[in-house]
Amino acid sequence: MLEKYREQYINRSIQFTFVDQKGIVVESDEVLFELKTGSSIYEFHPFFESLGAILESPEEEISFHCVHLSLEEDLLITDIKALKKTDGLLLIIYDLTQHYNSYQLATQARNESIIKTELTVIKNLELEERELFKNRFIQNFSHELRNPLTSIISIAKIIGDTELNGGQKKMLDFLMESSDNLKLLLEDILSISMIASGKLKLDVKIFSLYQLLELLEFTYSSKAREKGLEFMLKRNSKIPEFIEGDRLRLFQVLTNLLDNAIKYSESGKVSLELLFNQKRANRISMRFQVTDTGAGIPEESLTTIFESFTRLRSSEKQGGTGLGLSIVNGLLELMGSEIKVDSTLGEGSVFYFDIVLKYPLQLASKSLLKVADKKQAKIKKPKEGVRFKLLLVEDDLAIQTVLFKFLMNTKHFYVDFVDDGDQVMSKIVSEQYDIILMDVKLPNTNGDEITRQIRNFPFKNIKDIPIVGITANAYEENIKSYLNAGMNAVLSKPFEEELLIETIYKFLK
Amino acid sequence: MQSSKKIVVLGHFGVGKTSLIRRFVTDTFSDNYKVTIGVHITKKVVEISPDDTISLILWDLEGTDDIESIRNAYLLGTHGVVFVFDITRPSTFQHLNNDLKIVSSKIPNVPFLVVGNKTDLVAPSELKSVFDENNISVDFFTSAKTGDAVNDLFSKLANQLVSDA
Repeated sequence: MLEKYREQYINRSIQFTFVDQKGIVVESDEVLFELKTGSSIYEFHPFFESLGAILESPEEEISFHCVHLSLEEDLLITDIKALKKTDGLLLIIYDLTQHYNSYQLATQARNESIIKTELTVIKNLELEERELFKNRFIQNFSHELRNPLTSIISIAKIIGDTELNGGQKKMLDFLMESSDNLKLLLEDILSISMIASGKLKLDVKIFSLYQLLELLEFTYSSKAREKGLEFMLKRNSKIPEFIEGDRLRLFQVLTNLLDNAIKYSESGKVSLELLFNQKRANRISMRFQVTDTGAGIPEESLTTIFESFTRLRSSEKQGGTGLGLSIVNGLLELMGSEIKVDSTLGEGSVFYFDIVLKYPLQLASKSLLKVADKKQAKIKKPKEGVRFKLLLVEDDLAIQTVLFKFLMNTKHFYVDFVDDGDQVMSKIVSEQYDIILMDVKLPNTNGDEITRQIRNFPFKNIKDIPIVGITANAYEENIKSYLNAGMNAVLSKPFEEELLIETIYKFLK
Repeated sequence: MQSSKKIVVLGHFGVGKTSLIRRFVTDTFSDNYKVTIGVHITKKVVEISPDDTISLILWDLEGTDDIESIRNAYLLGTHGVVFVFDITRPSTFQHLNNDLKIVSSKIPNVPFLVVGNKTDLVAPSELKSVFDENNISVDFFTSAKTGDAVNDLFSKLANQLVSDA
């Protein structure tokens, strides 16, 4: 009985063929395919053209696995064993089509998955590289832009203090407005780049939300009035005065939304509402909502308005870069929130976001207010007639001039100049200074490196000289590294005259 | 009798060996990737000169990332080698020089061409610099999809085989 099965399952899938030294078929059992006696096996399939090499090889027996033999109608996948005999070659051909077909399916799945993973990794690497390049470009670009912008703004201010006729004053106003816009644009681009590169970290502290709202009301009431609009602020009474969050970034979100609301409303009113959602433990969920009576947003644009450089209406009059909402979107994502919008064409839009923030449960608001206010307390001006010796380290002549003018305006400083990092140490050893105002990027030795050298100096009178850094490199991580180097404060260009002078006063003894 | 030469086409899986042969033999291309297992053998007669032709027996071997593991039986009687890699996947060429050494030791003294395939997926300006930087010498950059340089590659090999004979 077993012989019968052997015949049925094995013998019918194995062909025996004998060929002579010249490849002529001597005998074939034709189990799998027909091979006429006397024909050349080389003509049957190109595989068999390699038999000559087998005859020449020293091996007595050679096996070929998984050989595809495409015949007229069928495709056979075979293992072929060639055995050398005295007068020719014995070929044993095994039909393993079924077995190899299932192996093919498994290999297909495996290879496809490996290739897919590899290509995904490559694609991600490419995207990361592109993102890195973009952010590096923005960083360098903003750096290069800050120096000339600082000069423009500062010189414009100096010119503003001189006697000008009406026409000149008007032109100067335009110049100052344009440079202020450029400064805002630069800050927007930096924010976008920092959000995109994950460099922007939230600075969470307790602050007075009421004060923030008052500031917004004050600012936007007058902005709205200028455009003939009404401005309204509403706050639910359950909202606590103090909350824990990043005041600056929340302020940035709200000013972007309010600026847009005013920009796109020609008449009617703009409102900012703070609604109460719920409180649990020491967390409060609230909704900030900015409503305008502008033209509204078409439905097809609702998904794209939060992308960078998207502006709904390309009117020159409205200006802007289209970065505002993208910044809002990015900042809110960082805060675990999401910007949403409802809009009706011809009636206006409502931008809103729900945010959960911690709030202190048992703090007396008055003492807390003191803490919050302490940082904003006015810096004491030096008494009249008192003068301090200041070393100004700056290699850019335009900025040097502007800073000198600012310092001279106060009548509180004697100023010495150095424009090379390598000259600083010898200067402070030979002269006694009350404070150093120093650019970070300098010829030969950079400002942060000089600061480290000063802080490691053995003599206290030199080691403790206050140092205020100025930099065009406005990334938070850079500023932190300059502070870590030992600078007492770092101002990023372009800076305001008042802020610069106040910062210097802060460190004078 | 027309001379016939065995050419083995080697390389990692998914680099386009089968597609290159199909483009050369039948001038067709399919985007569907079907993994080759074992070996497929096809034949094409190439005209060397108006009076001379050569029959190329093309052995399309199953792709592998371990060149050492290729069965010696497949390589028996080889006259020429085409080593193919995919220019978009570094894993197929990052050990290329070492792979080529292994192939040369398995099949010594035969003409050898190194082919970077899938040029349709990469900007021409990026092509040469990447491989020059990595000290990889490439004979042909091809695209089985567009047919770019495919015939040139096999013609060059055929001519080399004739002149070496």
